[in-house]
Amino acid sequence: MSRSYDRALTVFSPDGHLFQVEYANEAVRKGTCAVGVRGKDVVVLGVEKKSVLQLQDPRTVRKVVMLDDHVCLAFAGLTADGRVLIDKARIECQSHRLTVEDPVTIEYITRHIAGIQQRYTQSGGVRPFGIATLIVGFDPNDTRPRLYMTEPSGIYSAWKANAIGRSAKTVREFLEKNHKDDMTRDESIKLTIKSLLEVVQTGAKNIEISVLDGYNKITSLELPEIEAIVQDIEREKEAEAERKKSRLAATAAGQAAMLSRSADQPEGQ
Amino acid sequence: MEYNGGSVVAMVGKGCVAIASDLRLGNQALGISSNFQKIFPITDRIYLGLPGLATDVTTLKEQFRYRVNMYTIKEEREIEPEAFAHLVSSTLYERRFGPYFIEPVMAGLTKKPSGEYRPFIAASDLIGCLNFAKDFVVAGTASSKLFGVAEGLWEPDLEPEDLFETISQTLLNAVDRDAYSGWGAIVHVITPESVITRTLKGRMD
Amino acid sequence: MDSSFAITGKGYVIVAADMTAARSIVKMQSNEDKIKVLGSHLLMAFSGEPGDTVQFAEYIERNIRLAHIRNTYPLPPPSAASWIRRELADSLRSRSPYAVNLLVAGYDLPTHEPKLYWIDYLGTMAPVPFAAHGYGSYFALSLLDKYHDPEATVDEGLATLRRCIDEVSKRLIVTPGKFKVKIVDKNGVREVDF
Repeated sequence: MSRSYDRALTVFSPDGHLFQVEYANEAVRKGTCAVGVRGKDVVVLGVEKKSVLQLQDPRTVRKVVMLDDHVCLAFAGLTADGRVLIDKARIECQSHRLTVEDPVTIEYITRHIAGIQQRYTQSGGVRPFGIATLIVGFDPNDTRPRLYMTEPSGIYSAWKANAIGRSAKTVREFLEKNHKDDMTRDESIKLTIKSLLEVVQTGAKNIEISVLDGYNKITSLELPEIEAIVQDIEREKEAEAERKKSRLAATAAGQAAMLSRSADQPEGQ
Repeated sequence: MEYNGGSVVAMVGKGCVAIASDLRLGNQALGISSNFQKIFPITDRIYLGLPGLATDVTTLKEQFRYRVNMYTIKEEREIEPEAFAHLVSSTLYERRFGPYFIEPVMAGLTKKPSGEYRPFIAASDLIGCLNFAKDFVVAGTASSKLFGVAEGLWEPDLEPEDLFETISQTLLNAVDRDAYSGWGAIVHVITPESVITRTLKGRMD
Repeated sequence: MDSSFAITGKGYVIVAADMTAARSIVKMQSNEDKIKVLGSHLLMAFSGEPGDTVQFAEYIERNIRLAHIRNTYPLPPPSAASWIRRELADSLRSRSPYAVNLLVAGYDLPTHEPKLYWIDYLGTMAPVPFAAHGYGSYFALSLLDKYHDPEATVDEGLATLRRCIDEVSKRLIVTPGKFKVKIVDKNGVREVDF
């Protein structure tokens, strides 16, 4: 029983770790990637879709879900855990409306979800939720887009753009490099797809995009729309590569010229 | 019983049974619906009539559907009328001190080991006391009138068509003397081969 | 004292409810909406014990919405009515029952049929072609027996409703005042000025 802190959830390890929570984070890192990007008056959610099996009904595999008319959630990690957490959140959304006649704010529902996740790291006989979530939406009577993230430990935080799941670090670094404040709708969608393409090799058919244009305005992009944007991005990349190549050639030529010149005029003369 | 009104009668025939009810749903003296079903199929060979408080008609219908489905799944066979009668009885007795206001009537055919079918009818009071009759059973607001007419019209070993005529006349003439029952009627005659269901027109007053 | 009516017709249901909120003999308000919109094709008129009514209606509204979000698709009218009835039937035998009478009206998209259910506070439910609750029902039901036509157009349906409301205004000691009228058909729910 010397290693019992490895199993019993509510017990710290001697150096202050909660192993079960760290294992839950590991489950998140194994999950499919999800990206959230905030623009000027839009917020976009993008997820990497696992390719469905040939005989599977793709409509039954959802990674972006509605919590209420104005809130969307994407998750990475154990889908089964996600379902349970989503249901709790949906009940809270309706219950909140019923008791105070107001829809939830995005921060409120995020705090609620994070609260549930935290509770499952501190009570006996349970294990933490193996999921991280991105929660997006608009507060009632407000035009500012919101983007929050929660983790298995119960941490929650607000972001301009963020990624969770597989290769989240790579995507986040990409977002850090390319995110600008006050992006338009198209720019935000493009950045979302671009960042997802960093980790999704299979292209448009494995990407799902939801766009929130304001309070109660949720749309998800159709495959042809995503395909068009992907093609656009690829064309840009090619052009960029072409330019790079010609620039490289120019530099190489320049260097060669310099070398030959220095050969013609030996040093010291 | 008088709150919503309604009556049910069941009769034994030769190798067949019949069950019939009126179609009225009322709110005391005010008529609400002239198409309120109070007889429900339980299996292909069992029908259950639930006269009484209408909210409990629906609740018990759903309750019995659930319990019979569970029985079918667990036992891997259809429930027999005798077993179903006791299921009805125990379901009602569970609410001994806060009962459902329903007096169930059931009719069915029991399969004998020889493969033949034996007619079965039964009725219960609102807390589950069963009455296995050999001729006919009545329940609902017109029960006193139904007793009288049935006593006069019923005879043993009626063929399906004659049984249909007997139960129809019994019901229609009894409910015409009852203010809380009527507004049309429905009759089911259960034979080993099939169930004959007919909707009857009645006085609409 | 409140009255509500509903009439089905060819591809629609009209629901009407009076707009008075009264405490005892005092009229407190004359613009109360007693018809909840439970979904794109579902309406519920509610009446009964003041306090219980709104509380119960909002509880139903939120749960119907939750069912929609959970299952992607909304509950069809028969299922919604059946569930609402069960809530009332269970409530009847609880420590604090709701005293609420309902008319649940909807347009069933898959079968393209208008649906109407009469439900009372006991949990009694009946599918009906036309229905009424309250004192108004004593006048309206007999009129509807004579004038109801399941093949009537919306205008004809509204004319029949007008007869009912006029009769109630004429004969009932306490006139219910203004009525709110909503229609549900294949295009969804809409309110009409009446």
